[in-house]
Amino acid sequence: MIRLTDLQACFEGVIPSIVATAGADGTPNISYLSQVVRVDDEHIALSNQFFSKTATNIRENPHAAVLIVDAQTGEQYRLAVTFVETRTTGPTFENVKAHIEATAAQEGMAGIFRLFGVDIYHVREIVHISSAALATTGVAERRALRLTDAARVVELIAARTDIDAILEAALDGLQQYFGYENMLLLAQDPIRQVLTTIASRGYEKTGIGSEVPFGDGVASRAASEGRIIRVSDLSRIKRFAAAISGSASDENRTRAIAVPGMPDSMSQIAVPLLAQGRVQGVLFAESRARLAFTSEDEAALNIVARQIAASWMLAERMAGESHEVPAVQLRTEPSDRTFRVTYHAVDDSVFIDDEYVIKGVPGRLLIFFLEACRGGRRDFTNRELRMSATLRLPDIKDNLETRLLLLRRRLEEKRSPVRLVRSGRGRVTLELQGAPVLHRVTS
Amino acid sequence: MRIDNELAIFLSSPVMTILGTCDAQGSPEIGRGVGARVDSETGVLEVVLSSWQWPGTVANVRNNGRAAVTFARPHDYVTYQVKGRAQIVEPDAQALLLSSRYINDITVVLCQLGLERRQIDHWLTHREPVVVRLPIESVFIQTPGSKAGRLIASAPIQ
Repeated sequence: MIRLTDLQACFEGVIPSIVATAGADGTPNISYLSQVVRVDDEHIALSNQFFSKTATNIRENPHAAVLIVDAQTGEQYRLAVTFVETRTTGPTFENVKAHIEATAAQEGMAGIFRLFGVDIYHVREIVHISSAALATTGVAERRALRLTDAARVVELIAARTDIDAILEAALDGLQQYFGYENMLLLAQDPIRQVLTTIASRGYEKTGIGSEVPFGDGVASRAASEGRIIRVSDLSRIKRFAAAISGSASDENRTRAIAVPGMPDSMSQIAVPLLAQGRVQGVLFAESRARLAFTSEDEAALNIVARQIAASWMLAERMAGESHEVPAVQLRTEPSDRTFRVTYHAVDDSVFIDDEYVIKGVPGRLLIFFLEACRGGRRDFTNRELRMSATLRLPDIKDNLETRLLLLRRRLEEKRSPVRLVRSGRGRVTLELQGAPVLHRVTS
Repeated sequence: MRIDNELAIFLSSPVMTILGTCDAQGSPEIGRGVGARVDSETGVLEVVLSSWQWPGTVANVRNNGRAAVTFARPHDYVTYQVKGRAQIVEPDAQALLLSSRYINDITVVLCQLGLERRQIDHWLTHREPVVVRLPIESVFIQTPGSKAGRLIASAPIQ
């Protein structure tokens, strides 16, 4: 037996649904529907906008037929329904109204689609329409396959202990088992109100260190609302505009790294990384294909995202446990080379040989390391970094490891003469190719 | 009833075609047409339909003949609905050719809009074809907007 819950892909609003009604004299009428919403297992809601003939007919004859289409496969289902009531207030009405207004505004048709009410129908029968097309994988089968994929990715993530390896395992696993090609992992920075790219796959530039401001785009919405945001057809919806098109020279001027993005992206999904009720960050994926992410993907990603968040949080906490202060080892520079480091106090941005590297807390960390290394220090513990007054670390102290990872990756990507190496749990070692010459710009 | 030439061309073009009918108990039924032609002089519309895919629609037309047919252009939602009393007739060779051409043309149109062949194939078949012959009695604009549902032409009352 087919249930309404199995037909989630028919309620995406991508492929128009159709309603047929008949008047008291038996004259039929057909209308296209802008939205069909599943209310519960036995009821659907139809938006009542233009189809006045439909409204007249159902008051004379409450029976109707609704044709819905699986947005993923194209399969058709005929629902035999009976009108129950019209709602002009309440959560179902507000939900449909918000969706219609948002879609209309994005299509430049704000104000045209006025919602008078939502009509609630009882679903008496669901029939799968015979098709001459090749049989596609059924809902139950797709769900089972995705669950197995999720289990494999969770296994990969759970086997890792440091953040670097956890994030890499997540992206590798999603690439291998889910077939996703373009992904970002973003860390939430509640102090600066941004999401920062910390790992990525599939883009020309990794975008490590690039920032998406709160309130901008699907990733930010997923973080602020703590729920998955999925867009199935961006040809109808305005694409999020966080991407700052940028070259290295722009980066040096704006001190902002370009967020990687696909200009012709059609489907996007953003999944909040939730652990103990706190959003650690966001997993974002996109595709050039329409409907690339299904409701089965959504459920499976929810599981994967929670494992990423839990492992990530645990790794942060464990990294703070190393209390042993390493012995100071004085070292000489391997070459006579020097490199110029410019620090701008206004935004804690750091340039090495006039190339922008990073700003904010990771910028302060880099300067802290470079100043300490002038006295011969190379090895540091997270504990002493946390205790350092000069670093002015934000009060949220359990994401130091994440900031160190961001700094480490950014230095690697810039092929910088200074590198950070993880030398044990909660410990880092500085590697230098040459001697830094520090300049502070205070104004 | 005479049909405006422009409308006749629209109804015969690659547009999505939906048939609405109703059984004796008042339960409506939906079916998809796969190709249509209209004689603009007489206003007789013929729509090809798969009786294998849409048996309920064929049964309703045979029983009471009441039918509504909606034609919607996928790229701009321009939509018309015609109504009348229909009958089922056997398709001639020309109807079958027309249907094959329609399936081909509408597939191209939908693919250009970004839909995939594997999705579209579920909607378009002329397996066990029949022709729904419907002398048009009334024509309505059904394009979303304030004019939706407006009657634009009807046959004189006899």
